[in-house]
Amino acid sequence: MITREVTIVNKAGLHTRPAAALVKLAAKFKSDFFIEKDGIEVNAKSIISVMMLAAPKGTKLKLRFNGVDEEDAAREITKLFEDGFGEV
Amino acid sequence: MDFNKQPLKKKDITVAELYDALTERLGVSLERLNKVSLNRKIVERDIHRPGLALAGFTNLFTYQRVQILGNTESRFLKQFSPEKRREVFANITPYKIPCICITDANDFDKDLLKMATEARIPVFRTSLSTTKFIYLVTDFLDDQFAPYQVFHGSMVDVYGIGMFFTGRSGIGKSEIALDLVERGHRLVADDAVVITRKGESVLMASGMETIGHFMEIRGLGFINVEKIFGVRAVRYQKRLEIVVELMEWDSKTEYDRTGLAPKNTDILGVPIQHIQLPIYPGKNITVIAEVMALNYLLKHYGYDPAQELDKRVLEKIAEQSKDDKKKKFAFSANKVKRNPKKSRAIEYFEHDFE
Repeated sequence: MITREVTIVNKAGLHTRPAAALVKLAAKFKSDFFIEKDGIEVNAKSIISVMMLAAPKGTKLKLRFNGVDEEDAAREITKLFEDGFGEV
Repeated sequence: MDFNKQPLKKKDITVAELYDALTERLGVSLERLNKVSLNRKIVERDIHRPGLALAGFTNLFTYQRVQILGNTESRFLKQFSPEKRREVFANITPYKIPCICITDANDFDKDLLKMATEARIPVFRTSLSTTKFIYLVTDFLDDQFAPYQVFHGSMVDVYGIGMFFTGRSGIGKSEIALDLVERGHRLVADDAVVITRKGESVLMASGMETIGHFMEIRGLGFINVEKIFGVRAVRYQKRLEIVVELMEWDSKTEYDRTGLAPKNTDILGVPIQHIQLPIYPGKNITVIAEVMALNYLLKHYGYDPAQELDKRVLEKIAEQSKDDKKKKFAFSANKVKRNPKKSRAIEYFEHDFE
């Protein structure tokens, strides 16, 4: 299991388009992927759950990866957050 | 499915929230006796009647709770001279009390009200009796401070039974929920379900405010179940009674074949019936879900099919072993039973051919 901490850097926050990009990328990996915000951990492969977080810019999120390809998943998904989902 | 997540709990609510809930939601007429900010925080569900604290014993004074002045406390204060009364009340004013509620429409001395205002303690008055008021406040605070957690799955009310479908992403939870809605059942929430423990043994499920009854269907995108199927297809809360875990058929896993010993799973400290349901193409999960709900209802009303069938087989076994014994003495008994072994449900097919 790998955990990472990320911050939302894009202006609009985690709205529909970034959430879609995130779950699409997550679906490529076999590993389970969860996001935690304020003690609530959601399944990050489900777009509705990700959007439910309604995370604005500056929010700190805890990512958790668990599975055979967790290292690749952690690297690529963390990068997507750092790049602001290509919206910066 | 992992139900062992650490339960979450609200840290505090403001007095304003309590006031709004009591006056607007619960219809309690609550008079504000002083104009003090309602920003103070309430941190626990219990309330307190400060009789002993007023009398001067403040050692274990649970000042952080909502303080209720009922008939006893009001009469206790009334018996004193104005000076002594202020002195007595000064026992509790230095503490950071969230609010004081006076019940049974009791009078509250103007001097004391001034002291409370100076100490920035909001004072309310209601005409409700102390017991009734305490019941309402405790029930509301109990709800506010109840442990909860968010779980991944779909929650549907099927024939009045709250069923929570779990399983890995993409196994088809949303599709089953949609299928059930189409057959007249009601969706509580899809994907992210908030489960709250009410009291000690009841779990209540609801959705998240932002998401409402939106749902994602792979390949289609977002849909709004309430808009498509109308208000009859949704509900906002439902007691959780059965967890259905959908899983791919695996020949190594042992599935329940009889239902004689149903499995339970622990959610927020409450045991809930847990059914592991293998799925494969051609299996109609929706119909099985409906039957599960109806079977659960039957059991609730006292009919357990697994036990009933077991009973029948046991009776048959007992009957046969009796017959075997009788056979040994058949010659001495002189009586031959015509049909000792009944194996078919129908003894004789009359001419019902076509």
